[in-house]
Amino acid sequence: MVAAIRHRKSAVRRVLHVAWLAFLCAALLGVFTPVLAQQAEGSPAPEMPAPEMPAPEMPVPDAADAADAAPAPDTQALDEEVQLLKKDAVDLNRELFMLEEELLFPANTQVAVFLSMDVGEFFALDSVQLKINGREVGNYLYTQREAEALLKGGVHRVYLGNLKVGEHELVAIFTGKGPNEREYRRGASTRFAKAVGAKYLELKITDRQLRGQPEFEIKDWE
Amino acid sequence: MFRSQPLALTLLLVAGAVIHALDASAAERHALIGKPAPDFALRSAAGPNLRLSEQRGDVVVLSFWSSRCNTCRLQLAELDRLYATYRPAGFVVFGIGVDDDAARAVEFVRAQGASFPMLFDPAKQIARSFDIDNLPMLVAIDRFGVVRLVRRDDRRSGVAEYTAALRRLLDE
Repeated sequence: MVAAIRHRKSAVRRVLHVAWLAFLCAALLGVFTPVLAQQAEGSPAPEMPAPEMPAPEMPVPDAADAADAAPAPDTQALDEEVQLLKKDAVDLNRELFMLEEELLFPANTQVAVFLSMDVGEFFALDSVQLKINGREVGNYLYTQREAEALLKGGVHRVYLGNLKVGEHELVAIFTGKGPNEREYRRGASTRFAKAVGAKYLELKITDRQLRGQPEFEIKDWE
Repeated sequence: MFRSQPLALTLLLVAGAVIHALDASAAERHALIGKPAPDFALRSAAGPNLRLSEQRGDVVVLSFWSSRCNTCRLQLAELDRLYATYRPAGFVVFGIGVDDDAARAVEFVRAQGASFPMLFDPAKQIARSFDIDNLPMLVAIDRFGVVRLVRRDDRRSGVAEYTAALRRLLDE
């Protein structure tokens, strides 16, 4: 009787051991499978030497035969279709952009601030900081390419936002290199009245030849 | 012997879990991978301001550093070697310092003597936009402006791996 109980106990213990080992194996597989998969994904497949196979003997067709056999694909029509699709995508993108602007910045409250430069002999623009009613609304750092584009007649929209109808104050702080490569920091400010309708302001940087200094002004586009 | 087997296997399991966790962190799962890199313009230590979007068409590597980080020096030195080799193939490196102390950052740049542009991000705006949570941290951007690789691991053994990844980007 005692022997039978002992035998049963040892059998139960073995079953438990086997179950425990099976669980551990499953857990280990669970842990290492993603690692192995990741390694396989990340590392390039080893280059295997291509087995040397005898090339099958193929009859060499004549050039004239080949030209007759290969049908000329209608690539031109396909290309035109692709171009049309691209144009449609660009048009759609533009319309979406305009719609977004109309929704985010309705004409009634819209205020836009642009920056332009003329000549630039006495001033090399580095950055501009904008404050409306004492709150910083924009800070833009110009690269050499952007500054060159401005000098060629480009106009940069520095800020686009919304303002209530009424009196407001705009302050622009310009930093850059002034005459004789000196660090230059100047400000310009204006008070403007925002009515119903979009408001456009332009920050203009021009050279004042007589004084040999740059000039900063804010123009209100009525 | 039979009794010690489960213990050994349990230890193996724990070791496996630790290796997996380490490997997962090294695998650099990052929210920005596959997405367009956030654009920025920063002042450089010597030279003009630089904007990321103006480098479109080149493979760009951003290496975020701090003057207090010694491993950053090693990574920047390694990138300098790569820059010297692959620059003609359209490889651009920007070192981006996130030091608050401007003087210290300038001193670091001078001591490092890297041939690529070193930029300053004292406000850490750019670091935040790239979710930088470790230094050094390397971000590789492909020719189309998409983030392709983020590496937080600064082990020397990882250099060959990211060099191979950069070579693949340059070949694209």
